[in-house]
Amino acid sequence: MHPILARPGRLAAYVAIWLPLGVLLAALLALQGVLGWTDALLVAVPLSVSYGFLCLSAWYVTGGSPVDRVGPARVGATAVIASFLSSAVWLLIARGWLGLIASFGRWADASATFRSAAPTFFGFGFLLYLLAMAVSYLAAAFEVSRDAERRGLELQVLAREAELRALRAQIDPHFLFNSLQSISALTTVDPPAARRMCLLLADFLRDTLALGTRDRIPLSSELALVRRFLAVEQVRFGDRLQVDIAAEGAEACEVPPLLLQPLVENAVTHGVAHLLEGGTVRIRAERRVASLVVTVDNPCDADRPAGRGTGLGLRNVRARLESLYGHDAQLRTDEADARFVVRLEMPL
Amino acid sequence: MSEPLRIVIVDDESLARAVVREYAAADPGIEIVADCANGFEAVKAVAELKPDLVLLDVQMPKLDGFEVLELLGRDQAVVFITAYDQYALKAFEVHAVDYLLKPFSAERFQEAIVRARERMRAKTALPPDEDEISKFIRDAKPRTGPAGRVLIRDGANVHVLPVDKVDYVEAQDDYVAFKSEGKQYLKDQTLSAVEETLDPSRFVRIHRSFILNIDRISKVELYAKDSRMAILRDGTRLPVSRAGYARLSQLL
Repeated sequence: MHPILARPGRLAAYVAIWLPLGVLLAALLALQGVLGWTDALLVAVPLSVSYGFLCLSAWYVTGGSPVDRVGPARVGATAVIASFLSSAVWLLIARGWLGLIASFGRWADASATFRSAAPTFFGFGFLLYLLAMAVSYLAAAFEVSRDAERRGLELQVLAREAELRALRAQIDPHFLFNSLQSISALTTVDPPAARRMCLLLADFLRDTLALGTRDRIPLSSELALVRRFLAVEQVRFGDRLQVDIAAEGAEACEVPPLLLQPLVENAVTHGVAHLLEGGTVRIRAERRVASLVVTVDNPCDADRPAGRGTGLGLRNVRARLESLYGHDAQLRTDEADARFVVRLEMPL
Repeated sequence: MSEPLRIVIVDDESLARAVVREYAAADPGIEIVADCANGFEAVKAVAELKPDLVLLDVQMPKLDGFEVLELLGRDQAVVFITAYDQYALKAFEVHAVDYLLKPFSAERFQEAIVRARERMRAKTALPPDEDEISKFIRDAKPRTGPAGRVLIRDGANVHVLPVDKVDYVEAQDDYVAFKSEGKQYLKDQTLSAVEETLDPSRFVRIHRSFILNIDRISKVELYAKDSRMAILRDGTRLPVSRAGYARLSQLL
């Protein structure tokens, strides 16, 4: 749809522009002495408005030959040809209009009047059509830039949504709810502990947000995050959750962020949490010649009903490893002697 | 205030129990009779103390809240407490009085207590139709898939029997007996109800009174016209009916 025809308000404004142009044309005719002022206005204003409608076609002409695709030479040629043709059409209309008015007895010789007015009409029509095309090009360019801007905004929103989704995937909301429940309990039982828990939780969330935006982080940062997570869980589980982390010599290795955290979360929620007496989550990192090997192991309930847990955390970690390292990285899980072991090996 | 409401608190997290204790202590009409850190303690406490209301965490080691409820039966009201909202529907299917989402306020806790008291009043006025409820629970059951283990309450004790270890199940008067490794565990249930919870590709109703774990079969012998005997690996002989034999041969 033509942008001007799309809304009645725009069309009215557009027509209003052509009324003074009609007066201008009348002035040209009158000053040349072709017609008297009254007759000039009578001829020029309606013709000018009708030419306004004719000039709407410029939008389609410019749309058919966009500057960035066909090149300036062809745009110029198109403009000249289109202006010439539209002026010619307009001349025919002008001829008819003059004839019509003449038939009401204003002038004796309509053809003579037309002949003397024709160059003015043609020049006027030609120039205005070029102008209309220029305006169309500008409007189109404006539209394109606004589109681009909108698309940019949309992309930003999408990126933000993806970030939030990723965050939701990284942080189990139940972890938050359970932690808040612990804080709620501690506020009366042990207020300083409630405050410590708030700070632990805040640090953990801040770290998760900050590390999540980076491509690679030192293993020591990831382990610090994991320690915070486990510290929060230890408030909840008390003595049932023990932690044993050793990563001598491997702390400086660069790893993708938040890769271990979901594994450790699994170790707690699907392992230790299912045991009456609890147990120890053990994390070991070892630097090999060209790779880093990390194992997370935890005691688990050997005769728990199968199919608990969705395996989503593990699947996500596997997918990330694959997209980052292809076949160079490995993730293996193993369950034996009531312990669940995840072994992760990735190139350095 | 007349009789106090006697409650048992069950949660594997001591801080979570502390919140409930604190809220309950503020109400002089509540008496905390036990405080349990797991499902086994809960079954024992409820069997011995007969409370009016059990505040039951859903996620607990070994026995979850729903399994505890299954073992307890319906003599007391239950309010579930959990951080997970996806169990709400299931909680009401098993007629929980209320469902508290962690963390919850003292006001919300009081609301649940009020509901529990109302439920108790209604219950004494009009005893519930037990059959209706157990039918309802049975109907709700198959959606969770075949059971991986059998829970059996023996007074205040709970046996958790992995289904792989069940040799066969025998109907005995009002009970069913689960036979496993030479031992027998009695459960107050019908054989048909047991049949519905077991994996149909591994357990077959071979007779009106027997469900058999097909891994235990050594051979099936014809010993009279239309009458067969299943001989198990340990030598036990069980009768197989004609319909039971048809089901068995379909599976083998």
